[in-house]
Amino acid sequence: MVDLARVQKELHECNRDVQVSGINVTLKGDSLTHLIGTIPGPVGTPYEGGTFKIDITLTDGYPFEPPKMKFATKVWHPNISSQSGAICLDILKDQWSPALTLKTALLSIQALLSAPEPDDPQDAVVAQQYLRDHQTFVGTARYWTETFAKTSTLAADEKIQKLVEMGFPEAQVRSTLEANGWDENMALEKLLSS
Amino acid sequence: MENGHEDHEEIQIEEIRDEFQCCVCLELLYKPVVLGCGHIACFWCIFKAMNTWRESNCPICRHPYHHFPSLCRLMHSLLLKLYPLASARRVKQVAEEEKEVGSCSHEFDDDLSESRCKTDLVPETASPHSVSLQKCGSAGEGNHSSIDVSLDTVVPATSSSEINKDAISKNLNFADEHTSASEKQVLMTDLLCGICELLLFKPVVLNCGHVYCENCVINPSDKLCRCPVCQLEHPNGYPNICLVLEHYLEEQFPKLYAERKRASVERSDCQIPSKLSLGIRTVRHIALIQLPLAFYHKILSGMTGNRDEAAGCKSVPRFDLSAWLTGGGPQVHFEVGCDYCGMCPIVGERYKCKDCTEKIGFDLCEGCYKSSSKLSGRFNQQHTPDHQFELIQALQVRNVVLRLLQPERLEGNDSDFQLEYGEPRSLEVRPLEEDSSETNSPRDDLRDGQVGNISSSGTGDDDGGENVQTEIR
Repeated sequence: MVDLARVQKELHECNRDVQVSGINVTLKGDSLTHLIGTIPGPVGTPYEGGTFKIDITLTDGYPFEPPKMKFATKVWHPNISSQSGAICLDILKDQWSPALTLKTALLSIQALLSAPEPDDPQDAVVAQQYLRDHQTFVGTARYWTETFAKTSTLAADEKIQKLVEMGFPEAQVRSTLEANGWDENMALEKLLSS
Repeated sequence: MENGHEDHEEIQIEEIRDEFQCCVCLELLYKPVVLGCGHIACFWCIFKAMNTWRESNCPICRHPYHHFPSLCRLMHSLLLKLYPLASARRVKQVAEEEKEVGSCSHEFDDDLSESRCKTDLVPETASPHSVSLQKCGSAGEGNHSSIDVSLDTVVPATSSSEINKDAISKNLNFADEHTSASEKQVLMTDLLCGICELLLFKPVVLNCGHVYCENCVINPSDKLCRCPVCQLEHPNGYPNICLVLEHYLEEQFPKLYAERKRASVERSDCQIPSKLSLGIRTVRHIALIQLPLAFYHKILSGMTGNRDEAAGCKSVPRFDLSAWLTGGGPQVHFEVGCDYCGMCPIVGERYKCKDCTEKIGFDLCEGCYKSSSKLSGRFNQQHTPDHQFELIQALQVRNVVLRLLQPERLEGNDSDFQLEYGEPRSLEVRPLEEDSSETNSPRDDLRDGQVGNISSSGTGDDDGGENVQTEIR
């Protein structure tokens, strides 16, 4: 059974210093075992300016087993699958320790973004490009960041704007959208019914 | 809503210092155990985090360990005093968890302070080893070096300990006056070393849960570190200083602790050998010690608990996966721990108590079965010395592990394999889903596993088998 008390604590702790770390963890639905983490792209990398969403699933053994994490945002990185978002990171596998938390794991992923390990790749194509044609790699990674990691926030702003114009308070619009996975129609329904 | 409720509850209990928060459950440490590396976690947290199939690693620093430490009673009573409300909540919480699990953690039966118990016990159970330790400890406080004492008569030792007694009473008053209301109950007497009877200085917690000054219990001339009270040997080299406890002592008794530090520095200045007892961190940083290189290395490896070195000096058998897969080495009792020394899994012979009815059972490793130590079980079993033991054979899981590692190899010569190992009698008993977690991890040992198969089944390819087998040796 997942240690729910610990997950609660972690969420509380993580959201307390979100301003400093930029790392945010929110519930995906009602359950504490499905979460969404967001990390800002590290400054000075092709991922700068992007906001990356990570899909987190907690298995029954958590915290004695690692959380299952994968990128929900498409990202061009040697250790992250450009197709599935699977992450190749030792602490999410055999090097996991129960003293690590969701926040520290997300921080490690952020560190992985700034320090790729092309010798231990998850995505062979990206790794090849990283090693052989670094300039193209940087270009592609930046393009992917622009296309996939930024539009979501732009689109989000648009969605919020739209609903605010309908006469709902902005804070409520934002939280409802977040709770409904940024699905405009579902959020609107919720807003109308509340 | 839930969050709000949680917050409300938080306000009612005390603010807990970060270092007294368990790294695993993120709650107040409850029934703390201290690992050899000096890191602390709750009893149940470590128990759940342990790998019962092979060596475990500290959750914080990944320092490998093979022995589940006993509860640290000193820390336990300290936390109870510091945070009575939060502790009460934890007691309730853990009691519920234990009810679910069906086994209990060790309960302390009386309220005597640990240090007092220790000092009472020392003369009774004193072996030559512990006597010498005692001398070193008490004399060490009087600015004598430990070497001096062992040469000198006992007279200077006793006189210096008298002086120390005065110091204690003086400092007791000091502690009373200067502590804040919430921490008022924590007296220096709660935090004494059982050997020198002074405030703990550079505290180390042994595998048995007893706490001593590093200088008192670690004898550089001796590779072993044995607890003078329970006579249990501390496994895997020397323990590290428990920094959380040291930090607390430093903060709570700043004056006295500084005094202890000064005394120790003076002592180490006048004699090089006593520097050895300062601990590995110091030794590493004191590059200026002019010692022959070989000597220096010897100390380093001894102090870090260098695994080869430690294994060499110990009677404790160690689990070597590749040797085990090839059929060599001692038998391994997976998922069973020794209730005295905490070795888990038990390597070598396993003795199971026939009279303990608890679900978790009561088991001893060979070393503990043969030793005379009388300890209570880790899980509050009602074990008494008149209980009968039986020798248990390890389950033959090797076949299963090998099969899972490389099924295609085994298909051809399955019959040979069974002949070699006899009937796989316990195969059915062993739940397979537990194997899967193990078989994922030793992928690196796959090659060793193949070798084991080739050489043991006797039908392996003649060209490869021999060569690789010698490689292993």
